[in-house]
Amino acid sequence: MAASCAVGLGVSLARGLVRYAEASRLLAPCRVLPQSCIHTTTALEGNKNWERKNRVLHQPQPPEETRRAAEVYHCRRQIKYSKDKMWYLAKMIRGMTIEQAIAQLEFNDKKGAAIIKEVLLEAQEMAVKSHNVEYKSNLYVAESFSGKGQYLKRIRIHGRGMFGIMDKVYCHYFVKLVEGVAPKEEPRTGFDQAKEYVQQLRNRTIIHSL
Amino acid sequence: MSATGLMVFFRRSFLHLESRILQAIGFNNRAVVPALAVQGPGIFPQPHRNEETEEHSFLDNIFWMAAPKKRRTIEINRCRRRNPQKLIQTKTNIEPCSECGNLKQKHVLCGFCYEKVRRETAIIRGQIQAQEGKPLNNPAVETVVLYEGEMPADTDAGKRIVERKRQRPSWFTQY
Repeated sequence: MAASCAVGLGVSLARGLVRYAEASRLLAPCRVLPQSCIHTTTALEGNKNWERKNRVLHQPQPPEETRRAAEVYHCRRQIKYSKDKMWYLAKMIRGMTIEQAIAQLEFNDKKGAAIIKEVLLEAQEMAVKSHNVEYKSNLYVAESFSGKGQYLKRIRIHGRGMFGIMDKVYCHYFVKLVEGVAPKEEPRTGFDQAKEYVQQLRNRTIIHSL
Repeated sequence: MSATGLMVFFRRSFLHLESRILQAIGFNNRAVVPALAVQGPGIFPQPHRNEETEEHSFLDNIFWMAAPKKRRTIEINRCRRRNPQKLIQTKTNIEPCSECGNLKQKHVLCGFCYEKVRRETAIIRGQIQAQEGKPLNNPAVETVVLYEGEMPADTDAGKRIVERKRQRPSWFTQY
């Protein structure tokens, strides 16, 4: 029992060290410095990769290259809402300027709209404060999507002594804001999509063939 | 809850249900013996028939219900869930309020301005309530709200006066 306690203490100590090392933001050429080779997250904690994307440090650019646009990654975890319902809102604001997105979400009656609006405002503030964005309205939503959170399971009683297992759904919401004007994407027709599909089929190689 | 435990439970409850139905029909295990074969319809007990047919039609109702034949693939599900009819439409009737600058819908009052007015009227209502004391005690005269430095005009002769200790807000015009 004492041994397991000691092991537990040791693991938590290592985790604390890892977090401190991450927080100190050591310089690395265009990648996140792997602070430890030990896999220190448990299954219950989940992936926190989206938060780590803000830590990426790029190499200084040569003066003739076009300036890399500032990017902000933000997310909110374990929102008490369905990921499928959240997806519709995330899909609506993809590609919009941040002001447009906030306006649309303000007048949408869904529960997730208020949550996404909060996340966008937080991300906008983060961008201006710590990501070197000059004008807070010069941002657009580059990526926006929802993911499944960790569900709680409950029993739902049916008639005749039958029961089902009810899921209490949670979702995550992820957003990436980029400085500048959104690139104009021309709408792809069905014919274009079909052509692309056929081209993909033709590009396939047959392995182990003559 | 393990899957195997669930399956065992379901199987057991289904078998129990089956045996109960058979019991209700009259098919008891002890009665499986060679019965006397006699001609004529009068021998058969008529009252049993109704229960039997009821049970049969009840069972039939179960077996004739609609059920999906095949699992809907994720591609088909996506086509249904993502077609433009189900996506959220962007609203084109949002504009900034000319008074405060917050966003509003064209056919709706500005929420910020409405809230500002609501708060002031709530305070005025509180004062009226304090003046009246008990409910349904309002005098049968008009009410006039006066702010700091304002005197009641000649037209406000017999009216009830509510005083507010602040400057008159710009949106609350006097005359």
